[in-house]
Amino acid sequence: MAFLVRFWGTRGSIPTPGRTTNRYGGNTSCVEVCIDEALFICDGGTGLRELGIDLMKRGSQSIVAHLLFSHMHWDHIQGFPFFVPAYIPSNTFYIYGTSPGDRRFHNLLSGQMRSDYFPVDFSELNADIRAVDLGNADRVIDGVRVRCMEQCHPGTSYAYSFEKGGRKVVYATDNEIDMTLPDAKAVQADLAAPRKIPDDLVAFVRDADLLIVDGQYTDEQYFPKHVGWGHPRATTAVDLAVQAGARQLAIYHHDPMQSDIQIDMKIAACRSRVQAFGSSLFVFAAREGIELRIDQ
Amino acid sequence: MISQTDDDIRLTEETDIPVIPVQPYHRPHVLQQVRGPLSPQLIELNDDTVIVGRSSEAQIRVPSSALSRTHMRIERYQGGYRAIDLDSSNGVYLNQIRINSAVLRDGDTIQLGNAVFIYHEGK
Ligand SMILES: [Zn+2]
Ligand SMILES: [Zn+2]
Repeated sequence: MAFLVRFWGTRGSIPTPGRTTNRYGGNTSCVEVCIDEALFICDGGTGLRELGIDLMKRGSQSIVAHLLFSHMHWDHIQGFPFFVPAYIPSNTFYIYGTSPGDRRFHNLLSGQMRSDYFPVDFSELNADIRAVDLGNADRVIDGVRVRCMEQCHPGTSYAYSFEKGGRKVVYATDNEIDMTLPDAKAVQADLAAPRKIPDDLVAFVRDADLLIVDGQYTDEQYFPKHVGWGHPRATTAVDLAVQAGARQLAIYHHDPMQSDIQIDMKIAACRSRVQAFGSSLFVFAAREGIELRIDQ
Repeated sequence: MISQTDDDIRLTEETDIPVIPVQPYHRPHVLQQVRGPLSPQLIELNDDTVIVGRSSEAQIRVPSSALSRTHMRIERYQGGYRAIDLDSSNGVYLNQIRINSAVLRDGDTIQLGNAVFIYHEGK
């Protein structure tokens, strides 16, 4: 089995090109998950443009991909109009809704290509682009079990998990886990103490080989200024990963104000927390242009 | 109010100095080996692909049983280089992350077995 994850965009909110963000990258959310012949694309932020260019270079006669969106905020869809494979007639793309008959994501994606926003209309995309759904949030697609779960974010967002051959990857971005903590006040009083994560989220992530999770803010950034903005502290993502028994944690959706050095410091704080818990979890910052093998 | 003296006005004189054409400065991409057999050494990357491994056929040879014969390939990508694990036994670690492949950035640390390299971006 081949189980690969490629990061094409790891920035949150808005693209951040420039010298200070060169290492982790400035493109917004886009992750490719390849499991044998199945190709999944998580979110279509500006990183999707680069993925499109790469897919064209791979030389396949017809590309078939399953597009799963966390939600429709700009930083998760802006790459789609620039996704070159969508303009090629022999390609097929499935855009998933999260409940039976849900065509919302398909409709919103096409809406961002209305002439007021973009010169090419969605109907002019020559690929076969179909609205499908994940049924009751649990479906087998091309031999891969795909599940989704609703998250805490303004307007709601969804996490996805991909499982095959005893391996599991979870993509969970734009989720203010801190807002869902049952004892938020106690957490604020003692930042070093373990934070009890809601059972349903822990169960969803349980035993993931790789958890890709929103970790936008440092502890200092989060409280009180960014409470309610839809993103958690990176350190809370550590508690989720540890409580769920995840093997690797990729901190994702970096704050646009964070330079490479500040991201390094954010990760250092996460690693100290892992160490304090006596856990063997490996934490790193998601970065553009890296490819991980999950079946090792 | 600032007043100009005659001296100030005379500081710059109009001349006919020609605009001098300058060759763009080129500095190669470099792998700096900082740990392991044969270190320390600086290796300029000039070829489109470079193999690193234990084999005598590898362009960058690291005589160590901790490395596979052909352990990693480095290839040109978007004006720089990317590193690809060639199914090695002990893996390729980029800044401690075990990667299958990665686009390299200035200052990255790449570890193969007991050999450690730092990638310096040229221009
Ligand atoms: Zn976002
Ligand atoms: Zn959002």
